[in-house]
Amino acid sequence: MALSGLEIYKLLPKTNCKECGFPTCLAFAMKLAAKQVELDACPYVSAEAKEALSAAAAPPIRLIKLGSGRREFQIGNETVLFRHEKTFFNKPGLALRIKDTEPAEEITAKVETVHTYGVERVGIEMTFNAIAIENASGDADTFARTVAAARAKTDLPFVLMSNRAEALKAALAQEGGHKPLLYAATVENWEAMAEVAKAGGVSLAVRSRDGLDELADLTTKLSNAGIADLVLDPGSRDLAGSLAQLTQIRRLALKKNYRPLGYPIITFPGEVASSEEEEVVAAAQYVAKYAGIIVLDHFDPAVAYPLLTLRLNIYTDPQKPISVDPGIYEFNHPGADSPLLTTTNFSLTYFSVAGELDGSGIPSWLLVCDAEGMSVLTAWAAGKFDAETIAKAVKTTGVAEKLNHRKLTIPGHVAVLSGELEDELPGWEIQVGPREAVDIPAYLKVWKQ
Amino acid sequence: MPGTVEIPKEKWTGAIRQVTLGATADQGGSRARTVTVGGETTLPFLFFEGAIPNPPVIALEVQDSYPADWSPVLLQAWGDALRDPATWARKAEELGADLIMLRLRGVNSNGQLTTTAQATATVRAVLQATGLPVIVRGPGQAERDNELLVAVAEAAAGERLALGLCEDKNYRTIVAAALAHGHLVIASSPIDVNLAKQLNILISDMRMPLDRVLMDPTTGALGYGLEYTYSVMERLRIAALTGDSMTQQPMICFVGEESWRQKESRAASGVPAQWGDLEKRSVTWEIVTATTLLESGADIVVLRHPKTVGVIRNTIRKLMAQ
Amino acid sequence: MCGLWVYEMGTSDERRNRKAIVVFKPGGQVIEVEIGTLLSEAAVLAGVPLNLPCGGQGRCGRCRVKIEHGSVSHRGGVRLSTVDREQGWALGCQTVIKGDVVVLIPEQEKIEVEFKPRVVGAERIAIAAEFSGELDPSIRHVYLRIPPPSLADQTSDWDRLRRELVLQHGIQNVSASLSTLRTLSRDLREAEWNVTAVLDMGDPILDPCAHPRLIDLLPGDQTDRCYGVAIDIGTTSNVVYLVDLRSGRVIDRASAYNAQIQVGEDVISRIIFAQKQDGLQRLQRLVIKTLNGLLEELTTRNQIPPRQISKAVVAGNTTMIQLFLELDPRYIREMPFIPTLSQPLPVTAEEVGLAINPQATVDCLPVVGAYVGADITAGVLASGMYDTDALTLFIDVGTNGEIVLGNRDWLITCACSAGPAFEGSGVRHGMRATAGAIEEVWIDARTYEPTCQTIGNLPARGICGSGMIGLLAEMFITGIIDKAGKIRRDLPTPRVRVGDHGGEYVVVWANQSAVGTDIVINEVDIENLLRTKGAIYAGFSVLVRSVGVELADVEQVFIAGAFGQYINIEKAIQIGLLPDMPWDRFHYLGNTSALGAFYALVSRPMRRQVVEIARKMTYLELSADNSFYDQFMSALFLPHTDLTAFPSVIRLLERTGS
Repeated sequence: MALSGLEIYKLLPKTNCKECGFPTCLAFAMKLAAKQVELDACPYVSAEAKEALSAAAAPPIRLIKLGSGRREFQIGNETVLFRHEKTFFNKPGLALRIKDTEPAEEITAKVETVHTYGVERVGIEMTFNAIAIENASGDADTFARTVAAARAKTDLPFVLMSNRAEALKAALAQEGGHKPLLYAATVENWEAMAEVAKAGGVSLAVRSRDGLDELADLTTKLSNAGIADLVLDPGSRDLAGSLAQLTQIRRLALKKNYRPLGYPIITFPGEVASSEEEEVVAAAQYVAKYAGIIVLDHFDPAVAYPLLTLRLNIYTDPQKPISVDPGIYEFNHPGADSPLLTTTNFSLTYFSVAGELDGSGIPSWLLVCDAEGMSVLTAWAAGKFDAETIAKAVKTTGVAEKLNHRKLTIPGHVAVLSGELEDELPGWEIQVGPREAVDIPAYLKVWKQ
Repeated sequence: MPGTVEIPKEKWTGAIRQVTLGATADQGGSRARTVTVGGETTLPFLFFEGAIPNPPVIALEVQDSYPADWSPVLLQAWGDALRDPATWARKAEELGADLIMLRLRGVNSNGQLTTTAQATATVRAVLQATGLPVIVRGPGQAERDNELLVAVAEAAAGERLALGLCEDKNYRTIVAAALAHGHLVIASSPIDVNLAKQLNILISDMRMPLDRVLMDPTTGALGYGLEYTYSVMERLRIAALTGDSMTQQPMICFVGEESWRQKESRAASGVPAQWGDLEKRSVTWEIVTATTLLESGADIVVLRHPKTVGVIRNTIRKLMAQ
Repeated sequence: MCGLWVYEMGTSDERRNRKAIVVFKPGGQVIEVEIGTLLSEAAVLAGVPLNLPCGGQGRCGRCRVKIEHGSVSHRGGVRLSTVDREQGWALGCQTVIKGDVVVLIPEQEKIEVEFKPRVVGAERIAIAAEFSGELDPSIRHVYLRIPPPSLADQTSDWDRLRRELVLQHGIQNVSASLSTLRTLSRDLREAEWNVTAVLDMGDPILDPCAHPRLIDLLPGDQTDRCYGVAIDIGTTSNVVYLVDLRSGRVIDRASAYNAQIQVGEDVISRIIFAQKQDGLQRLQRLVIKTLNGLLEELTTRNQIPPRQISKAVVAGNTTMIQLFLELDPRYIREMPFIPTLSQPLPVTAEEVGLAINPQATVDCLPVVGAYVGADITAGVLASGMYDTDALTLFIDVGTNGEIVLGNRDWLITCACSAGPAFEGSGVRHGMRATAGAIEEVWIDARTYEPTCQTIGNLPARGICGSGMIGLLAEMFITGIIDKAGKIRRDLPTPRVRVGDHGGEYVVVWANQSAVGTDIVINEVDIENLLRTKGAIYAGFSVLVRSVGVELADVEQVFIAGAFGQYINIEKAIQIGLLPDMPWDRFHYLGNTSALGAFYALVSRPMRRQVVEIARKMTYLELSADNSFYDQFMSALFLPHTDLTAFPSVIRLLERTGS
């Protein structure tokens, strides 16, 4: 169970010695509570306190690493049920499944497509993370050959899928040491699977056909057998059932610290989908609701791009202030003679200014500056909304080209910037607008070029 | 050795209010049927710990004049139906919509301001063309909204329309009109839990019964703030279930409007090849936005593309399967 | 609101038909009324109307009367204690006549004087002019009769002085500055070897290397004249206490606006100004000019030569301290917000330019961080919260709101940019708490007519902090503004109108004000006030939660700041500035920064305690805490978005029907 800062503080030496790098024991305790620092940083912590605190500190969902080199990705280690509580840390890996019964050239083409696919959004390159190869043929040699052929085309990690341990063993030999995931240990085969996973030093997925009891039973056995890196497949495939199961697993792990289910989860949105759209819907649900790996059966950039975007969105740190994109915004179809105002990119600042500009009915331009998502006064106090920032925004957006005039209205709260800004923007006249957004319409009514 | 895993259940103390849109002839309106949303006593689709008496519903957007600025994908999918709000609404009903969301743009295709008479005529035509309950939104500019919606409220008295959008700066007139003529209102706030709650309180302080208030948390489309909306909705829903009375309104999301505004839903050329085919991509954009918001508590999703309606209807059916 | 009245009227026909005689003293008016009539109505009929500033809702307590004889029943009466009741006090607007009654109407001024503390909710604790602990200033005056030198004893003057300090007083290792030494020989001889040595003994417990320093040599025995000053450098106003170090008493005090205001109202503007050419020097000179003005006022008025002031202890926020010492405050503003030092070293008056003894010690108290300064360490000292088991919340409402939570074991603090609204700035007709400032307002819930009380009972010039709180609360409770702070435009009163900044409410008409124009409050003012109170409420909410406790766990709340002569706790709760708690948990302490500096001046143990306080305090940076923004948005509402956190306010709203 998580301890509050004060509870932890009571276990610390309370000497305020500062050797941990924080000014006081309480500050250190609060960092510990937020899991932003390790207890080891305190040189004087008692053994008793250590024991009490380490129980609270262990990650409730095990961190699993798959792949190697630039393709390595990690899943698990999540600490919250809802992203607003802190953030979701490790994005679920997206994989495309191929079967060893498919024609070789099709397999090669699919592998190449996934291998090369990458799409950029807000400066971040988004890619798929793995290829799942299923032993649909049931034949170990075919499976191993397919794995070898795929490996020749990509360094992406594999999810090797078979219910036969020997097939996985054969495939593992061809896999090339890129930390694959074996899928899956079941009630029937778990001992053999454990052996293969152990020998290969790789992670193992566990599949239940009978709900969470069976799943917990299996993971306990495997854990006792020395397999630490597990991934769960609780068995449900339908939307409602898997939503319930995945939610229950996450809750058990986080709220009850229930170790047998404290692992990331693998999902297969395509398995009960009757169309590609249904698969997308299920995949979207899994991105938001607790999957660690999502294995798709179709690949189309027109679908991959939205899904990758969703994953990026959901895994964005919500503790960052809500901001709007910096740039030029238009209100009421402005022209070259319309006034130009500026503000920061904090969303509520933007919304209140935009609301007034729009509501005034008067055509205008709004230059939204990148002030790291801070409001006008906060940004100004922190030096993020100064003459330099505004001048830079004026220059980089090329807003001047849209205007016949060279007049810029700044918020009344930063009237002090006007002199400096006129130095930074030669030829421009800096006008001081109202302090409050509510006064903007009145200001615009009398605004003259 | 673990025996049976004990499933942790939340003991929620609150419930979402049930809100009924539309009124039949018996109830003083002219709708063929009414639509009730809300009533949940658990987080979205978690049947193992609570009830979801009413499934989320789908509204299709209809506009009072030809939406020439819409994505070519939409213009093609709807064809000439877009030229007449009544025809458009009829087709929307055929496609399986539960509600019609009529958006009064406030200007006709020639750029002239619509009069209150024209607006009320459009609303009457849509009401005649369909038996579904209707949501009516104004142009989004305070003065025009008040002018048109007051007239609409009066002209459609008793129909239990949902009128919107009420915002913190402009809610009194619309709420008063809805109160006087037996309609609902949509309270809209900019992606903020506190602002959403504050507006509900202000509207409630005007003696508007809260079972006549829908909440619009402001929709961010996929890639354009979806995660903010998602989290604000989760927080509002958790607050509601925890017993916070002023957050217990059903939520409406204008998915289509936001999703189809984006470049991803409009641009066929001049975009990276990795974006894929425009039509498939744009429809997926709307599907993914709608699905994600349903998962975070949307009670009404307002859509635009005919194909999305089918997919989302199927999704809701599957999510409601216990 | 008249439900109860109807009920009482309707209980018995017999009662309705019966009449009662009411006699009003001291005027002797007599009136016959029906039983069930309100006393306030009877008073109107008798031609002696009671003062009903709140419109007869039982909120303001200004219609207090004393029932000398007779039978009445009371409705509400939050304003009356049991003792009041027993003594016969009643609220005219809440008292129903049951039979013949004799009523005493007290003089209005008496009501104000006698009942203000209780109406206010938390009594104003007068700033202690004396220090109650053991006096132990670092300054010592010792009288020496020094054997003059001779051919037989050619010891140098300085060694001779040091020798005698050891022999006569046991004071060793005394040092002196060159400028003191320059006049030493002359001073000794002019005083004919009978001198008073003024020494700063330092504090060997705090600094083992500390040794006594000779500040001055005065002729003859002047051990009875030993003075110091405690200085609070606020962003807006500066305060100086003149202290007699022998008695430990504050002899006099003076305050003035900080002259730095001319280059910027807030800390950030000053930091920016300091970056300009000569900006830092100008700012330093401006504050010294202000302080020297105050020192001159005090020394002249009390006929004390500045030379006899041997020590100054200075408190103030971190930026003010740095500007006072002419230390560049630039990095206070920039992330990660670092001050030059947290424990300033003692300097001499000469070095900073203070017009007291040039060798006097100038001791700035320690700071915690960039935005929690010596004003707060001094405040915590003055409040005594560092020495209690009770979980205590300390709120200093200034241009920056600083908050401290804790007790004997731990202290955590944060700062939020509150804005100067409660100091009278940023609000159109705001002013400081000086003569003519409206400090208390009641609004009649039926007519929307206000009743204002001003400082000094002069025609109103503006509204000070306590007046703002009262005004906002009254406008809210009477429904002139909604919970979002927007003025209802449809009220039947000419006082509500639309001005340049949206809706506005006329508090005082031009012909009754001292400024010749209407005194109004508008929606932009209200927004500013909401932001200020919201920031402060959010600040302590986050602080309390950051350590995992709840607001309700807080056992006492100390309030410091410049609202005015007092703060009306009830109204501060109504607007959601303070948490909804029993009033007796609140204590208004006034200027705790100056008070803490005073304590540190007269007591070395207290001075050591400030160091311990600064060391112990944990600073929470709100800009690194995303829950602050959430809490802030939640607090931008009246009283708060979470209405359940303000049950007493909700009950009042239900009772008044607004």
